[in-house]
Amino acid sequence: MNAKTGKLALVVGIAAFAILPLFLKGYGVYLCALFCVYLMATLGLNLTVGYAGQMSLGQAAFFGIGAYHAAILLKLGWPFFLVLPIAAVACFLVGLLLGFPALRVQHHYLAFATLGFNILVFLIMRNEATITGGPLGISGIPRPSLFGISLDADLRYFWFTLFFTVVLAAILWWLLRSPWGRAFAALRDNPIRAESLGINITAYTLFAFAIGAACAGVAGVFYASLLQFIEPSSFQFSYSLMMLLAVIVGGSGRFFGPVLGTVIIVLLPEWLRFMQNWYLAVFGFAIVALMIFLPGGLLSLPERLGWKGASK
Amino acid sequence: MKRFAGWIGAMVLGVAATAAAQNGPVPIVGLVELSGPGAVSGTNFNDGVRMAVEEINAKGGILGRKIDYTYNDTQSNPGVAKALAQKAVDQNAYVVMGPVFSGSIFVSMDVTRKAEITNFTGGEAANITQQGNPYIFRTSFTQANAMPRVARYMKNALKLKSVDIIWVNNDFGKGGHDEFLKAIKADGIKLGADVSTDQGQVDFSGAVLKVKQSGSDGVFVYVNEEESARALRELAKQGYNKPRIGETTLTGQKVIELAGSAADGAIAHVGLSPDAPIPAVRAFAERFQKEFKYKPDHNGIKGYTAMYIVKAMTEKIGKFDTKALAAALHGAKILVKDHPGVLMDVSFDKNGDIDRESFMTKVENGKQVVFETLPPLHPF
Repeated sequence: MNAKTGKLALVVGIAAFAILPLFLKGYGVYLCALFCVYLMATLGLNLTVGYAGQMSLGQAAFFGIGAYHAAILLKLGWPFFLVLPIAAVACFLVGLLLGFPALRVQHHYLAFATLGFNILVFLIMRNEATITGGPLGISGIPRPSLFGISLDADLRYFWFTLFFTVVLAAILWWLLRSPWGRAFAALRDNPIRAESLGINITAYTLFAFAIGAACAGVAGVFYASLLQFIEPSSFQFSYSLMMLLAVIVGGSGRFFGPVLGTVIIVLLPEWLRFMQNWYLAVFGFAIVALMIFLPGGLLSLPERLGWKGASK
Repeated sequence: MKRFAGWIGAMVLGVAATAAAQNGPVPIVGLVELSGPGAVSGTNFNDGVRMAVEEINAKGGILGRKIDYTYNDTQSNPGVAKALAQKAVDQNAYVVMGPVFSGSIFVSMDVTRKAEITNFTGGEAANITQQGNPYIFRTSFTQANAMPRVARYMKNALKLKSVDIIWVNNDFGKGGHDEFLKAIKADGIKLGADVSTDQGQVDFSGAVLKVKQSGSDGVFVYVNEEESARALRELAKQGYNKPRIGETTLTGQKVIELAGSAADGAIAHVGLSPDAPIPAVRAFAERFQKEFKYKPDHNGIKGYTAMYIVKAMTEKIGKFDTKALAAALHGAKILVKDHPGVLMDVSFDKNGDIDRESFMTKVENGKQVVFETLPPLHPF
């Protein structure tokens, strides 16, 4: 497949996804929107995990920070388009602040450090009830309106979310093709060689981590508006694990890996529901089998089958 | 013009849909916790509904129509619960049953409210029914009703001057904690140690140690089923010998099974109990045990009675109109002599809160024993 047909396929794919909910009922529309929201967070995580080569188990914490920013500020009547950058910048800064000490350690040690951070954030959300509403959460979060058109309807909100998911993905795409992005990839493939070529490893890892965090923050804003209610348990570390799983199952370090991974994590359990009591068990087995046979993720399937022209 | 055409189209579709729906089975949809931290409560609730549906269908259904009950697992996750509520609306549910966990019901009740579908919940958090939602109905007491009864018992029967509390810091526990503090303050009981624990917490040694050291006259334990058992075991292990009081969960069947002899002597106020001194309730518990191979707790009764409440009120209004059902439920009184399936006389107020008798229970030799029956707040 050459670049031109690839692009065409992408545009057709997005367009098809955009009109798909027209044929779905409320439940399907909601799941599509939820997919977009999680996709924003996993695209960001892919930057940290796939490109900067670091294990992070704190993505749900950033997701939560974004969601709480949105919930509190939107309820105060702040405009959505002001809240969105505020949440993104806040997560970016927290990411920098956390990354500065945490990125002194790598891989699974970093995973532990970010896991600790996630639990800390969860405790703050739950216990600082005066600001966060504590375990009862925050309800009645408004949805934005666009040029005077209310986005309360689920279908409109889905399109709105999809639009921003595509924008976010485009920004990340551009970023990864810039000299910065090439440095990220160099870092992932061989940190020592990258450093010998003059790449400041610490700075680049830190930036990858913080940008990943900002993506989660943006996702959090859309999540809060989608559910119109948030509570701390939606941002527990098990959701960080789920997002990490999405990146790895899809194929970490491949741009479209999280897309496929998020489809599997968000939609597969719903498709398996016909199995009644067994659906979560079957889901678990499917993931285990996938990881055994395709450790590089689903997108490594063509390489695994020995197809020509398949590359990262 | 376009809009007008749309309206006409929608009306035609609507008429067609109602015509088709008038003969077939009535869809009732359950949103229940079958996995995650709410699994014990959700499974009980769901099986209760299933049993009632089976019985009702065996006797010819409601107004001659069978009930088609489908249920979905929320994984105890509010995001999933909301999606499933949407799905229930898509299925044109006549009534939605559940979820049981308050955190999930906060999200899903918005969806059923918008779709104007009557929704029964197992949740006990006080503020569920305080938001002016005309479609939400409880199946059990609220914490605001239950806690004053607990406090009064502590003051009058146990003569406690001070009490500690161990509570679970989630939506359920936090609501109960706040209501309990209000109730004991009103009755002049002093609060000793105030110990918060996590949902799913395994180790209660620290919590129990704090309670032991506080020197209060007793402890109030307000955590979910599995954690209740762990707390009771730890209290026994550390030799705690003062009254252990709970509300609803502490003397539940599941807790007794998990805690073993450590549960003996625990006291709790229970809105619904399979061991209530009422023959109909006991008979229900036996049938349930036979069918599902485990003893139901209060959530099983909630689900079962909710389904019979739907039957009773639907027969009263004489049609399957979920809006009319919700309207009729406000202020409704349903008596056992007319509708044996509700097990106990029950009434609803204007907010959708439920009222009926409740019980003081104690664990003796691994069994929940009712030693006092408390009258409803507003006698029939």
